[in-house]
Amino acid sequence: MGGRDATMVLLDENGIRCDGRKIDEPRKIMIKAGGLKNADGSAYIEFGDNKILVGVFGPRDVHPKHMSNTDTGILRVRYHMEPFSVGERKRPAPSRREIEISKVIKEALEPAVMLDKFPRTAVDVFIEVLQADGGTRCAALTAASVALADAGIPMRDMVAAIASGKVADTIILDVNNEEDQAGQADMPVGYMPSLKKITLLQLDGVLSPEEYKKCVDVGVKGCEVVYELQKKALHDKYFGNRGD
Amino acid sequence: MASVSVIDELKKAQILELLEQGKRVDGRALDETREMTIEINAIPKANGSARVHLGDTDVLCGVKIQPDKPFPDVGDKGMFMCTAELLPLSHPTVETGPPRDDVIELARVVDRGIRESHMVDVSDLVIEKDKSVVGVFADVVAIDYDGNYFDACSYAATAALLNSKTPTWEMVDDQPTVVEGGDKPLPVSTIPVSVTMGKIGNYIVVDPNGDEWESMDSRITITTDSDGNIVALQKGGSDGFTQEEINQCGELSVKVGAKIREQLKSAQEESQ
Amino acid sequence: MADRRKYVIPGDVVTSGPFRPEQNVILEGNDIISTVVGISEIYDDSVKVIPLTGKYLPKIDDLVIGKVVSHTSLSWELDINSCYIGFLPAMDVFGRDFSTHSDELSSKLKTGDLVAARIANFDRTRDPLITISDRDLGKIDDGVLVKISTSKVPRLIGKKGSMIQMIENGTNAAVTIGQNGWVVVACESAEGLSKAKKAIEMVNEKAHIANLTDLIQDMLNEKDES
Repeated sequence: MGGRDATMVLLDENGIRCDGRKIDEPRKIMIKAGGLKNADGSAYIEFGDNKILVGVFGPRDVHPKHMSNTDTGILRVRYHMEPFSVGERKRPAPSRREIEISKVIKEALEPAVMLDKFPRTAVDVFIEVLQADGGTRCAALTAASVALADAGIPMRDMVAAIASGKVADTIILDVNNEEDQAGQADMPVGYMPSLKKITLLQLDGVLSPEEYKKCVDVGVKGCEVVYELQKKALHDKYFGNRGD
Repeated sequence: MASVSVIDELKKAQILELLEQGKRVDGRALDETREMTIEINAIPKANGSARVHLGDTDVLCGVKIQPDKPFPDVGDKGMFMCTAELLPLSHPTVETGPPRDDVIELARVVDRGIRESHMVDVSDLVIEKDKSVVGVFADVVAIDYDGNYFDACSYAATAALLNSKTPTWEMVDDQPTVVEGGDKPLPVSTIPVSVTMGKIGNYIVVDPNGDEWESMDSRITITTDSDGNIVALQKGGSDGFTQEEINQCGELSVKVGAKIREQLKSAQEESQ
Repeated sequence: MADRRKYVIPGDVVTSGPFRPEQNVILEGNDIISTVVGISEIYDDSVKVIPLTGKYLPKIDDLVIGKVVSHTSLSWELDINSCYIGFLPAMDVFGRDFSTHSDELSSKLKTGDLVAARIANFDRTRDPLITISDRDLGKIDDGVLVKISTSKVPRLIGKKGSMIQMIENGTNAAVTIGQNGWVVVACESAEGLSKAKKAIEMVNEKAHIANLTDLIQDMLNEKDES
């Protein structure tokens, strides 16, 4: 979680956070479905200063063949940050953090995607973080879900994500980079809004049992807000924003 | 780049048929480049950045400038490095894992084009001789493919470097420390521009698109600087060029390069 | 007759109650839920969603355009713009007396060739089986390949073929539409070819526009400024 910066005021006496937001206010979010010419499906998200692009290929043949499954298609996820996306330049090779996040995002999408009708194939999700500012895994999962829908991969539900957390003993929604570094807890939440199931959940920090329940609740409600923007992105592309 | 894509024989025949009439499938002249858009400062948190669309080829370069230890016997020079990577979302044939030889070639050609032009003067980039120098890293990533990554990556890297701001550092307690208010544009001395030409049959086409790239027999990438000198060159592909063709390509690279240079300059000026 | 069409995305409830879930929907408790981005249709006793995106899923007897990507001594492999590679056995082309000694596959079809083909068989346990042995099938020698979204193919064909006939009549082009979204356009005149291509691309991009037929007719009627 990083060291504490005693000089940063994370929550002032008016309940305003270090970037001017209220405690239940998410950063500005923009989601676009499509955009890439060669990928089967794609999406782009801006979540605060996070800029993340996702491309999906599949279902397609699996190479090497021994990795394929005769009963169902498999889902593969690669979360990757560009060298220029973070404060200090990151070397191109995958870090342990990227590998863990790839796995966590894959397992957050698996409950939603339905690949049993595509045996011996794979669906590849490629996540590229162009600029990072705290909460990239939630923004990435959110965009990945839109990219999968854009590719026509059958899914039981969308998966929306946002991180809740705690600063100055207060539960907040959408933890930014400073709050992640200097705050007291950070809880990324991934949620299927129609089926009402949590598919991504991690925690960094210290929460009492009461705070824990509140934090989960704030996260779930935040995911419902994010879901509306995923819906808008797909409606804008496919339905000319005409809705029903 | 999609060297493992299967060439559509019918398409190649059509491309050649049109070339015999002096035309290209997308209506361009043989020495004409595609429409290019340059988005300066696409990644505001980097020291400099640019996203370039060359037709439907889409690449992004971010520049990071940070203190580094100098190389052992070159304590009076900073570091400059340019990399290029194909992102797997750019094309179905791009694999993850260690880069293929054609991607390594792309990265090295883009790096050489900028390095050999001396666009960035590494002897300018010293904080304290033998102890601390400045590293300038231009990392290019390819986002979408429609032929000619060489030029798109070169333009993105050049535009990003032109746009870059560098902090000033001084040594405090033996550590390089940022001087408040010391941000300044990265000093650059020239604007290198690469021009790639493909050979299809006996025809030379500038800025091959995806279909032309798959159909071409060989290619050449030539980089010129602001003085019109040729500073770097790479021939690739499995066929050969005649001496006349090589000379023709040299002339084209200066002529077409000058036009692209103007576009890069305008993009930078407009972003101010 | 379909009732109450609705735009849906994955997870949207199409309706509740005693309906049989058909394509692209699932039953979750009492709700019928869409699994794709598309348009839902509710019939008397069943519900389905017509997808607006997604790869081609092979169906027996579909006409498709394929590209040869490789071959062994016994068969060719075809890219048919699907999740699976199409499998064309040598016997389909050479006949029953096919012999690996005397019959060389690349003499008939080589890597990079385009073919008009039919899906002979498909079930999920193996790759789709392809045939080119009918009169209207086989190697494509002439024409330009245009790729459109699989979901737009019905719009390109039109009611009883009305859209594609309008395009062919207006350009004198011969158009072969693969159900897999790959379309081959052949035309004697360069102008006709270009207009036919443009019309097909318009269907792909503007399929949802109400007066698309008129827009395309207008474009076809435009005189070329030469």
